[in-house]
This record gives sequence, C-alpha cells and structure tokens, in this order.
Amino acid sequence: MGDSRYLSRFIKGVIIMSTILIESVFKRFPNGFEALKGVSADIAPGSFTVILGPSGAGKSTLLRLINGLETSTGGSVRIAGETLGKANLRKVRSRVAMVFQQFNLVERLSVATNVLTGRLAHRSWVGSVFYLFRNEDMDIVREVLARVGLTEKAWSRADKLSGGQRQRVGIARALAQRPKVILADEPVASLDPVSSEEIMGLLREICDRDGITVVVNLHQVDVAKRFADRIIGMNSGRVVFDGTPAELSPQALRTIYRREGMEHDNSLDLALAYA
Amino acid sequence: MNKPIETLFPQALPPRPHNLFPVWLAAALAALWLIVRDLEISFETLAYGVADMGEYFSRYRQPDFSDLPRYLELMGITLATALWGTVFALVVAFFLSPLAARNLSPHPLVYRAAREALNFMRAMPDLLLALIFVAALGLGPLPGALALGVHTAGFLGKFFAESLERVDQGVYEGVAATGANFPQLVMYAGWPSILREALGYVLYILDRNVRMASVLGLVGAGGIGLALHDTLRMFNYGQSAALILVILSTILIIDYASAWLRQTLN
Amino acid sequence: MTTVSIWRWPTPSGLPPLSAVASLSAVLVAMWLTAPLVEVDFVRLFGSLGKMVAFAGQLFVEPEWEYLPQLLDKMLETIEMTFLATMIALAVSLPLGLLAARNATPHVLVYRLVRDLLSLMRALPDLVWALVFVSAVGLGPLPGVMALAFVTVGFMGKFFAEIIEVVDHKPVEGVAAHGAGWLQVRLFAMLPQALPDFVGTVMYILDHNLRMATILGLVGAGGIGYDLVMSMRLFQYDRLILIALAIYLVVTLLDRLSDRLRSRIIHGTRA
Repeated sequence: MGDSRYLSRFIKGVIIMSTILIESVFKRFPNGFEALKGVSADIAPGSFTVILGPSGAGKSTLLRLINGLETSTGGSVRIAGETLGKANLRKVRSRVAMVFQQFNLVERLSVATNVLTGRLAHRSWVGSVFYLFRNEDMDIVREVLARVGLTEKAWSRADKLSGGQRQRVGIARALAQRPKVILADEPVASLDPVSSEEIMGLLREICDRDGITVVVNLHQVDVAKRFADRIIGMNSGRVVFDGTPAELSPQALRTIYRREGMEHDNSLDLALAYA
Repeated sequence: MNKPIETLFPQALPPRPHNLFPVWLAAALAALWLIVRDLEISFETLAYGVADMGEYFSRYRQPDFSDLPRYLELMGITLATALWGTVFALVVAFFLSPLAARNLSPHPLVYRAAREALNFMRAMPDLLLALIFVAALGLGPLPGALALGVHTAGFLGKFFAESLERVDQGVYEGVAATGANFPQLVMYAGWPSILREALGYVLYILDRNVRMASVLGLVGAGGIGLALHDTLRMFNYGQSAALILVILSTILIIDYASAWLRQTLN
Repeated sequence: MTTVSIWRWPTPSGLPPLSAVASLSAVLVAMWLTAPLVEVDFVRLFGSLGKMVAFAGQLFVEPEWEYLPQLLDKMLETIEMTFLATMIALAVSLPLGLLAARNATPHVLVYRLVRDLLSLMRALPDLVWALVFVSAVGLGPLPGVMALAFVTVGFMGKFFAEIIEVVDHKPVEGVAAHGAGWLQVRLFAMLPQALPDFVGTVMYILDHNLRMATILGLVGAGGIGYDLVMSMRLFQYDRLILIALAIYLVVTLLDRLSDRLRSRIIHGTRA
C-alpha cells in the first residue's frame, strides 16, 4: 500500500535529482526521547529550504542527521545518491557544510585558520597537522572572506569578533569546503535583528549565485517567509507542513506551533505576531 | 516589652538540617589518636627532639662552599634530568591524552585503554621506576630522566585529557562537520583550545620534576641527591648545608621564573 | 628571484609564527646542550631493552605469600603516616592560609612574611626533609610524618590562601556590615565559600602524600619504601611484585576516590 508512495517518491527523487533524500527517518535518543518519528523529505539541488517549527520539534536533530553528527535509529539519508553511513561519513561531510547557532569556531585561532579548517577534508592529514596548507587553499580563504566581507579581519583571533562577524566566519568556513549543500542550524538565533538580516541575506545570495543547496532551521516565521523557496513545518518529530511560503496559512502555522495537551500556546501568538 | 520571641513570631523555623560535621570531626580525631598509638610515636621523643632541634639545626650554621663548582655541576645535571624527563612526558602525553579524552577518543575501548595506561604510569612511584631503570641501564641520570618521564607522563596525560574534555562540544562539532579526521580534529579543535592551560600544566610538572630530580640520586639515578645523602650520613653538616642551600635557591629561582612565565602567558 | 612555494602556514607572511619557532628551538637547543649531562645514549637505551624485558620476566614469579602479613602491616603504616601528616598540616595551614591571603590578612607585612615562609617550606623536596629529620630524631615513621607535614603546610597554606583570595567579596561585605568581628568575618563569610575548593585541595594533597609516603622509607623514614628498596637490592622479586602491586592498588583506589569526590563537589551535588 505504502510501497507505491515510496516508489513514486523515489522516482520523483531521481527525476529531479534531489540532493538530499530523507526516507522515513527515526531518531530515539538513549534517554528514550523520540526526536524524529518517521520524517521523509526530498530537497532539490540549488533550492533554499527552511525547516520551521517550535523548539523541540526535531529540526536540529534532522539537520545533524544529514551531516552525520547524529546517527538515525531507523530510515536512511541519501545525499547525491549516496546513503550516509560510517564508511563515507567524512566524504559526505566534506560536501555538506554546517553552520551552527553558536558559531562553533575555534576561539583561539585566527579567522583565516578557522576558515582553513574548511579545507581539512581535502588535504592529507600529514601536512595539515603541522598547519601546512597549499597556496591555493589560501586563495580560497581570500576569496570567501571577501564574499562575507571580513577581509580586514583575516588575522584577528576569532574570539575578538562580534556575534554577527563570527557567524560570517562560520559561513566562510562552510564556503571554503566548496560544498554542494550548506546546512544552517538556527544561524540567527543568537544574533541581533540587523545581523540576522545580513546573515540570512548572505545565505540566500550564496544559494542564488553559487547554486548551493541551503537548508536552514528557523523558528521565526517572518524570516522564513521572506527568504525561503520552500518551507517544511515540523512539530514533535513529524513533518506537518510542506509547501511554498505563500501556502503557509494561519491554519498551517497553527498546526506547526501546536503543542500537545495545550489549547492555547504563547509561541503560536508570538509566531503569528511576527508573520 | 520583653515578650518571648515565640509570641512575636509564632511560626517555627523548619527543623535544622542535620549537620554531620561534629561526627566527622570526632571520627577524624579518634582515627588520629589510633594512628598515633599504632605508629608508636612517643611524645617524649618528639619533645626531646624538638628541644634538641635548635641545637641540631645550629650545626648547619656554617655552610661549607669549598666544593661549590662540583655542587653546581650536580645541580646542572639535576636540572637537565628534569628537563629531559619533562619533555619525554610531554611527548607521551601529547599522543596519549586525545585518546584518553572521552569526547574525542575514536572508540570507547581505546579510551579505556589509554586511561588505564595513564593511571598505571601515575600509580608507579618515580623512585621505584628509577630503581628499575637503574637496574636495566646502569647508574647515571638517564634512568632518572626516564623514570621521571614515565611517571609524569601519567599526570600530564590525565591533566590534558581532562582539559580536552572540558572544551565545548560545539567546537569539536564545528571542525568535525567539515569532514576533518581524528588527527586534524585534535590539532585544530583540541590543542588550540587548551594551549594556555596545557602550558601551565607543563610548567607545573617541570617544577615538580626539578624537586624530584634532586632526590633521584638516592637510588643512583644521578644528580645532587646522592651527594646530600652521603654528606648527611658522614655528619658533614657544613657541606650538607651548602648542598641544601644550592637546591633551595635553584628551586626558588625556578619557582619564581615559572610564576613569571605563567603570568606573562595570561 | 622569487621562490615559488606551494606550502605555507596560515600567517600573513606564510611563515610559521615567530613565538612558536623561538620557543620550540629554545627547548630543542636546551635539550641538545644538556644531552651530555644526562648521558643520553640511544644505543645504550635500546641495548637495555632486552634487560628490561628480562627484568619484567623475572617479576612474574610465585609471590612470597608468607610476606603478606608484614606487607599489610607496612602498607597500613604508610596510609597512617599519610593521614596523620595531612591532618596535622591541615590544622596548621588553615590559620596560615588566612594570614597569607591578601584579602584576609591583618597586615601586608604579615602577608609577605607568611607567603615567604610558605614558599621556603615547600621549596625543598619531602625526601630532603626526611633525610634531615631522620638524622635529627632517628629512624622510624616519626621523621617521615614530620617531613610530610612540613612540606604539606607549604603547599596547602599557599593553595588555601589562593582559594580565599578569589572568594566572592559581596557576602564578606554583607557580614562585615552587620558588625561582625575580624575573626567572625573570616569564619562565617570567607571559609564557607572556600570550603568546596578546600576539600578538593585536601584530596589532591592526600593523594600526593600517599605517593610520597610509599617512598619515604628509602631514607629510613617509615612506610613500605624500605622494604621496596631492600627487595630490589636483594633481588627478592617474589616480594617486590607484591609490594608494587600493593602500592598500585592503594594509590589507584585513592586516585579514583578523590576523582569522584572532586567531580561531585564541582557539580554541586553533596552527599
């Protein structure tokens, strides 16, 4: 019964050559918490997708699964036709870059060195453990730092930068990987409104100009509506909405921000107020 | 006016939580008393010794520096032994500690093995190790340096591993998410994050090794310790005093130097 | 002429940073210069590998079980010396630590004086003091306990002073503002705040003293150390293996215990 649905999904996936194909993924943590209860989605190459939902909906877990920072307890994740597993983890990661909410830079290293870590997967470890890089890597650093507008800060230490600047370094590091996909896990949740706007604009521009597939986790509805091609709404480990920003009706928002056992929820009001 | 306080504030305080401190104190004192009896420490000897101590220490009043060049050479050997031991420990700890850090180690089994290896090195007293190495290598400072190295590698490795475990998991994830492998993860996310702490630990271990190296001579592992042992055994208080002064001033200099270095690093 | 280099370091110039090169070469030069002093000889080192293996082989003999009662006796003595010396040092270090803390000392002069006294006390290794005390009061555990306690005061007093110096100032001011006396401020505002760190320090020092107590016997200052050296010198490997095992066991046990206690204190869950 369900086979035909999966078959059509698979064919659709092949036809539009989805970069990321997520098939009924489950994730149960050792403490028994079920973060994902059978999530399926396919994400087309070069698209800008926002995963929307309240905190605890499983957005973050889903994103981390795609990069292999978590392992699923059921289902599979395919990236460019390759099923993510232990063997090809590093290879997949080298093409799927990740941007974090807390930036996750190495504070004591310079901005340039932080960006260079994006090149590590492309270099043998012998030279890189001595901090030796090729000149071409340095050219890439120069280019991506210019892209994010941090050329003058190249030799400052990462802990000397502001939040917005640090997130640009995070994006520069992702770009230095020459990735096919950039996953951004709540990239603007720790930033002020102005920096948030800049960072989202930067991600959108990267998607448009380089054709890199961008998947962003957000909890702000207004931001999602303005930047996304497609919005996937999640609630308590399930996909509850999948469509364009125009299709995101107040009714759909209510489903996304519904909380179990609670008639009226603040986060919904908040989300609607922003919408 | 002198109403009892209970009528003013009728609500009683919740019962005071049990404070076990007096119990612990009494137990500790009882244990101490038992220990003093068991060790057969007689307070007469102690009192006699203390009364005598003034006279005894006055024998050290006139240090005999006639042999100073030899003492300085011995102290030099001691310092060199400490340096080589510390570098040896640093090299071993550098490679072992990432394996012994729970959040970095490639496999739980590797983690356990590395931890146990470090524990073992730490548990073997360096003087025992020195005895063993002297038996295998012959007399001289080399077995001493080796013994210091093995023993303090256990300490340094544990300190490093604990520092590496305290690094924010996000930093490791940030570098791991780029596809970096284990050595790259250690070199880019691990060591840079704990560099300053680690240098502090190395200085501390160097300090400790200088102290220890100055007594390794007792088991034939070179350095100034043997000379002190000999002069004390021959009741040559003048030379003993000179040797003690040489050791004391060297250790104080090292102490201040490492304190200064630590301050400049911060 | 320009050199075309493919490789570079992540610095503006492409060369490794000067501070790294300087400190690395300083260490290497120091090692190269001191190599003859330490008599570093790799031929000898590798030549002795066979001996080491042979020695390790000799250790695997039937242990001398008849020695067990004496071993237990000596280990108990070692542990007792550790405990006694640490407790004596604790009693002396608490007041000295207060005097040596910048924010608790009655006068700057006292602070300087006690600080210098403490650093003198810990400057000489325990074994040197043990040597001196043995020649002063004779053989036995007494000089060992004295030496341990003496050096421990030097360390513990300094650690305590440093802990007290970083105590939060507000509760101290609060208690002082209510008219508490000099000693009351220190007892009720400073010590309670410093207590968790104190316990950690005491555990650490207990650990250190136990290791030290196992070797003090080397100079006749009591504990298992004397038997250790004698069995080594007399090639009584059946006894040596028992002693080494006992030391390993006791040291590891205390190590684990203090690790657990310290992490419990740091994470704030008290028993």
